[in-house]
Amino acid sequence: MKRDALKSLTNAHAWVGLIISTILFIIFFAGSLSLFREDIISWERDPYFTVSDDIENFSFDALISQVTKDYKVHTHGYFILQRPTAEQPSSNIYFEEEIVTQGNLDGEQDSQLEAMADDHIDKHLVISPDGKILGDGNGFEWGNFLYQLHYNLHIPEVGLYFVGVVTLFFFVALLSGVVIHWRKIISKFFQYRKDGKKDKLLDTHNLIGVMGLPFHIMYAFSGLVFNLLIVYQISYAVVLYGGDQAKLFKAAGVVDVHIEETNIAVPVQGIDKLYLTAKESLGEVAITRISIDHFGDESASVTFRGDDKSQFSTRKEVTYHIASGRELYLTKNNYDNDIRGGLAVIASLHFGDFAGYSLRILFFVLGIGTCYIILTGNLMWLQKRVSLRSEKQNKFGIQLVKAMTTGGFIGTIFATAVGFICARLLPVDLLDRSDLIGQIFFACLVASLVLSLAIKAQQQFAKIFLKVTAIALALIPVLDWLMLPQKIIVMFKVGHFDVLIVEVMLLSLALCCWLVSSKLFSSVERAADEQPISHNDFIDSPIAEASVIS
Amino acid sequence: MWSRTFAGLLLGLLISISVVLNLNLLLPIKEDTMLLIGLLCAFPIWVGIQVWAYSFTSAKKAWLKLTIVLAPSALLNLLLLSLR
Repeated sequence: MKRDALKSLTNAHAWVGLIISTILFIIFFAGSLSLFREDIISWERDPYFTVSDDIENFSFDALISQVTKDYKVHTHGYFILQRPTAEQPSSNIYFEEEIVTQGNLDGEQDSQLEAMADDHIDKHLVISPDGKILGDGNGFEWGNFLYQLHYNLHIPEVGLYFVGVVTLFFFVALLSGVVIHWRKIISKFFQYRKDGKKDKLLDTHNLIGVMGLPFHIMYAFSGLVFNLLIVYQISYAVVLYGGDQAKLFKAAGVVDVHIEETNIAVPVQGIDKLYLTAKESLGEVAITRISIDHFGDESASVTFRGDDKSQFSTRKEVTYHIASGRELYLTKNNYDNDIRGGLAVIASLHFGDFAGYSLRILFFVLGIGTCYIILTGNLMWLQKRVSLRSEKQNKFGIQLVKAMTTGGFIGTIFATAVGFICARLLPVDLLDRSDLIGQIFFACLVASLVLSLAIKAQQQFAKIFLKVTAIALALIPVLDWLMLPQKIIVMFKVGHFDVLIVEVMLLSLALCCWLVSSKLFSSVERAADEQPISHNDFIDSPIAEASVIS
Repeated sequence: MWSRTFAGLLLGLLISISVVLNLNLLLPIKEDTMLLIGLLCAFPIWVGIQVWAYSFTSAKKAWLKLTIVLAPSALLNLLLLSLR
């Protein structure tokens, strides 16, 4: 590649990396934690609900009767019964409850509620192993909050696509990084000049980047598929299928077993019998999800779904019309469709759900490693910028990047630590508990950014802030054992170790934060104190080149 | 930098759509397999074009070269669609 082209690409690599850095850090950090989403949900909720280690075996019909007696299930909404898995020890029911008009409301309020006749609230109930309703699960959404932060940053409507665009530029930074580093990718594969202070960041950046390259490519690609698939979906539908989206969905293996609603109310019964039939039809598969469409209508259907653990990323599913027991659809091989099968493989790779905890721990380490790559990228940019002559420096730009790095990166970890602390400290019966924890998270993040912008001594601030974050993270296990020792022991006794898994994860993060604070920021400080880097040193480093050009 | 970014984003997207549509229209493979191949190729093509756009020393060059790549592929799209 020509020198000019390489220079342009290096410049672009630094520029793209810097622009997406804060958002990408949030995405990767939240994504790394989300690998243990089910454990985090159990950590937060199950100390309050674990009752015994009985093997789950209860009547679905009796449970559904109880639910319909206690709640008005929305016919047009979803109704999902999630059965226990290795990662999620309790059963859960998710459904939409209709908002019922109160008789004592005045005329205006009454008509407003009638206008909202189709309105509903989302319900989540936790079920005991013997089929009893244990309580409301809506207040324990911290694990889901982090997961949503990972894929759409909690930005309604456009968040998914925004994250998709950031992922696209992550892929661009990745590919441009490979092209820039290509000449040295083999010869300097293990290069880490721990004594050369100014090379340390670059070597770390390259070393983790190259070591984790397959992982990064997989995440960039699968993230793009999840978040920006719609772009190609639209173009395919318009050009290949003449605007008929239904034809595209059919080609993509989407099976429509929808039956028109009859508006004849029929109680949902007979699920136990259909469950046995489904087990026979699907063979050796643990049914983990039971969903009902058109709940309470004569047209209602039930779908039993499970993943075949003996094969990679293979889903089995069967749907029955409840009233007649007629089989509507059965698949034992990912809908016998390459695109459905392909998407299932991409999803399995992304979520790391095919090789137990060992794979997820590896993905977690690589994910946190990626956060470190992003951090070193920003620090290199700052180091080189600061070493420029003062007339060439953009003071506001430098302060902004410093604030993004300190407030955005460390702020995200700190806000997460505070979120965990709130999830443990706030009373479980507090109204809108999960929403409040989310608001506290964002308040902490914004406060960190504002504080970072205001503080001049960034190095000192970053060091102290990271140590405070490390202490906050380490405090969470202490709170667990101070507040709920008996309940956690009950969980251990019945073989649920989610609390322990989350605690180990948080302590590992605390250790990382402490080490980065002690080692990295001290070395960055020392490097900044050194003489300005000579031109020869400078031109050797691609990132340095980039910062001169830009 | 912004102009090269937009060149890569827009023309990269159009080139990727155009190329995978040509693959769909040309290769005699069953429909769902074709859609999957298109999906697997589309994003890497888009990203590759974006990286290529950044490798030009000026935005003008980037727009020009990418348009030159897009034009024949788009023409082939039109031809294949009209022959369908």
